[in-house]
Amino acid sequence: MTCEDLRDSYELYTLGLLDGEEKREIDEHLGRNCAVCQKHYKDALGVNAVILSQTQQVVPPSRLRRRVMASVGIERAGWGWVAALAAACALIVAMWLSLEKRIADRELTEARRALQQTLADRDRLEQAFSFLNQPETRQVNFGQGQPAPPRGNFFLNPRMGVLLIASNLPALPTGRAYEMWVIPKGGTPRPAGLFRSGPQGTAMHILQGAVDPNVTLAVTVEPESGSPAPTSDILFTAGF
Amino acid sequence: MLARLIPVSLALVLLQVALRFKDDGDLARRLRARDASAMRELYDRYGRLVYSLIMRMVRNSAAAEDLVQETFLRVWNRMQAFDQERGALGPWVLTVARNRAIDYLRSTDARMSAGLLELDRLEHPAHFCDFEDRALSLDRARRLKNAFEKLTPNQKTVVELAYYEGLSQTEMAERMQQPLGTVKTWVRSALKVLREQLTEAATV
Repeated sequence: MTCEDLRDSYELYTLGLLDGEEKREIDEHLGRNCAVCQKHYKDALGVNAVILSQTQQVVPPSRLRRRVMASVGIERAGWGWVAALAAACALIVAMWLSLEKRIADRELTEARRALQQTLADRDRLEQAFSFLNQPETRQVNFGQGQPAPPRGNFFLNPRMGVLLIASNLPALPTGRAYEMWVIPKGGTPRPAGLFRSGPQGTAMHILQGAVDPNVTLAVTVEPESGSPAPTSDILFTAGF
Repeated sequence: MLARLIPVSLALVLLQVALRFKDDGDLARRLRARDASAMRELYDRYGRLVYSLIMRMVRNSAAAEDLVQETFLRVWNRMQAFDQERGALGPWVLTVARNRAIDYLRSTDARMSAGLLELDRLEHPAHFCDFEDRALSLDRARRLKNAFEKLTPNQKTVVELAYYEGLSQTEMAERMQQPLGTVKTWVRSALKVLREQLTEAATV
């Protein structure tokens, strides 16, 4: 075939779509560095490029640019996402650690409060045992035989003071407390300390310091700030 | 069918294509020097066109993204064989993109008629030298668009099948259930019309 015979085949040849005798002919012409066929070859590439470049354009996703750059080693693929993810994870960990610390601090505070309460209870029990172990301590009970009684005992030690152990105490109204009174013979009641009952209606109260051995002891319900003199009926009383 | 390939805002698109192709010499020099900013510029210049072409051919966005990546990676890796003084970067990039898509279509269709080695040989950078500047001019592109409109439906179909589906003439004949000789006539007559319009523009 002549160069002109092959003229119509160069576009297909450059697209890789020619086979058989025509392809072999073009290979031979190009192999001889035939100037006419070289020009036909370049023209065909130009025609192909113009045709291919007229494709209706669509917008590629933005991530594709990052991906392409990453594939040639220019940018790290998804680096921004990794950094954002790492920052989010760090924030979550920091928040979790902060929450854990707050929980631990609260538990520690509660444990310290419980320990202080336990130590205070232990001290009061030691005081109570000390009262009870003294030979000069005298005991007077109250409430015996009453139908709805607060019941219990006053222990009086002239040198150490008074120990009160009571049960069946009525529930206190809000803002009120029990107040113990020491009433000398022929005298007026003197405040002897505020106390509250436990959940089961029990209470233990200690008045420390020397006490006249011939006194009457009483308990009333007073404002929780205490009163200089009884303001309500006596809840229970006992005399020594 | 082929009319879909022609964008509505044709003048703007053709102008963009023509300007891209014209300024590629400096870009090719920087790519050969492994300039990272040149690679970004190459993608910004041709990424949309390459993606559009591949999407047009494979009609699958995930596969198209893979093939775009392969296209630019191949261009980057073969830049040293590209003649920065005489080479035509745009046509080469488009050819590499088309060949990646054809390779994909053939692998999914189990078609191996032209062979991968043949495509690889035909897209070698050395083939894309000594393009005339006016070969890719705006006027030629405009004339090509006019020439498309003059083609018969069968001529448009065979051009579509050749450029965007990579079918040989024998495969086109099977697909269209027409004699091979008839298909060859359609192909040659269609390409002749297009070529003559472009040649005429180049010699004006």
